[in-house]
Amino acid sequence: MAASTKPLILTILARGEMYGYQIIHNVIQLSGGTLEWSEGMLYPVLHRMEKENFIRSQWKISENGRRRKYYQLTELGKKELEKERNQWIKVHKVLSRLWALSPGASHV
Amino acid sequence: MFDLERAIKHWRKTLNKNDALEDSYKEELECHLRDKAEYLRNLGFSEKEAFEEAAGKIGEVHIIGSEYFKTDTRHISGRPPWQKSRWLPPLFSNYLKIGLRKIKRQKIYSLINIAGLAVGLACCAVIILYVKNELSYDTFHKDADRIFRVATHLINVVGEFRNSTTPGPLGPELMASYPQVEKAVRVVPPYENASHVLVVQGEKRFFENRIWFADKDIFQLFHMPFIQGNPQTALTHPNTVVITEGMAKKYFGEEATLGKTLQIEIDYDTGSVELQDFEVTGVIKNAPSNTHLKYDMFLSMQTMRSNLPSFEEDWLNHQAKYTYVKLTPDINVEDFEEQIQRISKIVLQKYSERFNREMDLYELFLQPVTKIHMDSHNLIEIEPSGNWYYLYIYSIIAFLILLIGCLNFINLSAALSTTRTKEVGLRKVVGAQRRQLTWQFLGESFFITFLAFILAFGLISLLLIPFNQMAGTELTLAGLKQPTVLLSLLGLLLFVSIGSGSYPAFILTAFSPVSFLQGKLAPTSRGAAAQKFLVIGQFAISIFLIICTLTVFKQLNFMKGRALGFDLEQKLILRVKSNLPHLRRDYEAIKSDFLQNPSITGATVSSSVPGDKEEGGYYLTTKPGDFKNAPRLKTITVDYDFLSEYGIKMVAGRAFQKGVGNDEREAYVINVAGVKELGFSSPEEALGKSYMAHYHRMTKRIIGVTDDFHYRGMQEIVEPLILDIENSLFNTITLSIRVENMNELMRFIKNKWDEHFPGVPFEYSFLDESFDREYRYEEQMGRLLGIITTLGFIIACLGLFGLVSFVARYRKKEIGIRKVLGASTSDIVTMLSKKFVLLILISVIIASPIAWYSMNKWLQDFAYRIEMNLFVFFLAAAGALVIALVTVGLHGFRAAIANPADSVRNE
Repeated sequence: MAASTKPLILTILARGEMYGYQIIHNVIQLSGGTLEWSEGMLYPVLHRMEKENFIRSQWKISENGRRRKYYQLTELGKKELEKERNQWIKVHKVLSRLWALSPGASHV
Repeated sequence: MFDLERAIKHWRKTLNKNDALEDSYKEELECHLRDKAEYLRNLGFSEKEAFEEAAGKIGEVHIIGSEYFKTDTRHISGRPPWQKSRWLPPLFSNYLKIGLRKIKRQKIYSLINIAGLAVGLACCAVIILYVKNELSYDTFHKDADRIFRVATHLINVVGEFRNSTTPGPLGPELMASYPQVEKAVRVVPPYENASHVLVVQGEKRFFENRIWFADKDIFQLFHMPFIQGNPQTALTHPNTVVITEGMAKKYFGEEATLGKTLQIEIDYDTGSVELQDFEVTGVIKNAPSNTHLKYDMFLSMQTMRSNLPSFEEDWLNHQAKYTYVKLTPDINVEDFEEQIQRISKIVLQKYSERFNREMDLYELFLQPVTKIHMDSHNLIEIEPSGNWYYLYIYSIIAFLILLIGCLNFINLSAALSTTRTKEVGLRKVVGAQRRQLTWQFLGESFFITFLAFILAFGLISLLLIPFNQMAGTELTLAGLKQPTVLLSLLGLLLFVSIGSGSYPAFILTAFSPVSFLQGKLAPTSRGAAAQKFLVIGQFAISIFLIICTLTVFKQLNFMKGRALGFDLEQKLILRVKSNLPHLRRDYEAIKSDFLQNPSITGATVSSSVPGDKEEGGYYLTTKPGDFKNAPRLKTITVDYDFLSEYGIKMVAGRAFQKGVGNDEREAYVINVAGVKELGFSSPEEALGKSYMAHYHRMTKRIIGVTDDFHYRGMQEIVEPLILDIENSLFNTITLSIRVENMNELMRFIKNKWDEHFPGVPFEYSFLDESFDREYRYEEQMGRLLGIITTLGFIIACLGLFGLVSFVARYRKKEIGIRKVLGASTSDIVTMLSKKFVLLILISVIIASPIAWYSMNKWLQDFAYRIEMNLFVFFLAAAGALVIALVTVGLHGFRAAIANPADSVRNE
């Protein structure tokens, strides 16, 4: 999975508890449909992040009577999100400065 | 009509194709599908379109599955178990599982197997280390193949000799006249006190015995790495010394050592002896254990030259001067040896000029430095040579014990393999090829051998400690890292695992699967015969070892049996090593001083004591001044009390006695062998005859003849001996003691010592202990044999135990039926044991002649030896039989008292 997947999921879950489809739906909406995922691949990633203790999950019965697995951030996950955010902002700053300085860069 | 529920159910089945997807994962994915489809339906898609779109978006099942697996697995490779491995053979994990299961289920057999093999392997590894060490002597010098020691071969009136020593001027002469000689170095021990050089540094005073004078080039010739100092210049000046790291620590601790001063006392035999100052000009690494020239300090040859200038000119003094040369590359050694005989001619000529007679032969010859340890049989060798004989014996013993372990393994796995016939049959039925099964069994035996190896490594470190003590070696585990040793061990591993696994691997796999599956568990007659053969082999080896051990110990006891002809109990020996004239002068006063203590019952002073390997002797002549063709008798010079203190029996004449004539100036006592050597037919005839000795040039009369007491131990023939009272050679005090309060007595002796010999380190020994050390090799071999025999015998018995228990199990039903029909417990034990008794008897018959032959051969080396008798054989056979019967009986008894109802009932 891409490097951006983890911060993406962490950011979305920071808004509150969600189940798998909601997360994907959010990702698609946020990216305006430009991020194309094989949707099934989200689940192994969630599974791994859970193993790493960034998120925790819980099976719940939803309003329509079906069982759904809900995910939420842990304390560790919140810290991780903070770390990721700082890193991405730093990278973002460096790259934008670089691209602003070298005129030809936008053609690359 | 499209049915969403059915489509989802069908879709869910496709998820089952992937084993990594667990139920909860699948449920979550299904949940996602439903949510997505519902969302799409709300956007206006038909049920069918919504489902297809949603299912498509979820993606490839296998990719999702393998992502999950990577997260879940602990395997680094991330390879799911249903995929083929890249390098392990198929079914490997199954083989491993079955193998481990077998080991776990048959705990006792596995333990016997692994322990037996481990002991055998550990013994072998230690012996490999030992052999390797013995053969590696002096191979570590740079260009070792070009380094030689010059030695001399001569025949004179006394006899023929090959000596390791050469005249002092030889080295420089070789260097000056022969371009083939790249370096020549002389190594000379301090003459008169080589074994006890007093070294003083401040308060520290010790005797050292590995001190040498050496030419300055020694560090270019031998590999002796410097830690401090300059190897080129270290030994160029008089009174300089290069010491080893160990010595630096001993005398200077952690201080810087270079430039410091050591006081060293050397007796140049020129009369005066005093401590001289030596400047430390170098520190070298400690001497390795595998060099024949062991050293602690090197003094510069310039020191010797300034103290004893004659040393550089005297071509006729061969006393303890070793000459080493390094030849230039590509020299034909024989040609060179031929050329240096020119120097031999010089020596021959000087000899005839000085002594006015010819020497019959004088030759110089070269010894490769790497061969000195094992192959030099010269006299005046620096340290006792290695012994091929013991090398072979140790190797054979190690091999035998490994063989016992292997036979055990083969035997037990052969017995156990009958329990695996069904497995083999089934594997064959489902398509296993014979080759695969062979590999499986070989693999298992490799695995068990490997476990044994790991255990063996633990054992090696335990074994090395006593072995080093016994063999006087310094072997360490680090030695195992040498490539040749590793390679030998690897070879051993392969050899043992193939040897031990061969029965099931090659024989069991050959049978037809049908007979196996029909439940014909019976081992074939061929297999049974093989088993008998193996048991016989094991016990034959064990009995052979038992006989050897008993014989060695019997011989040892015989030698220690104190039939030595003198008393050696309760004798404390004090060695006055430094050159102290007042012992020679005032010995009577010193003796009576010691005798003040009531626990000291006697005291005597002499030049050596029984057990010393002194070479000193007198040439005796009846024509004063003319020693041509004079016989030579070994000499011990003694005081008046020596013969009585040591309880030596006189066979004719009288012992030395105060107040009867002047024995100091007039009397000799000789032994019976001396009587013959001097040409008399009876001791009485020798009495009263006068001889002049070359040493003191006095003519004395034989006043008595002693029994042939074994003054050099039991290994050697008693040689002609002469005793007289010659106090200039006194240096040993013997105290006969009565031990009541050892500490108090030792304190008393120490105080008296310090009073009489201030500044001389106090060293003492007990005669019986040091005499026992004479039998070091025999003792060593006896103990080694004892340990190994016990181990071997235990392994063999364990094997037997395993085998009997197997047979008993196999014949369980038969035993049950016999009991039902009225057989008693003892009947059954007898029935089970009978077969084994026969096997052991056959082993005895095989082992006895081999043991008889080898032990007879071994005994030939002793001047005084026991006769082989049947009792030893009987004892060995009876011992083996009793222990084996107990082993068999124990198990047989268990089988016999089992309730027959249990064994007959089933089926």
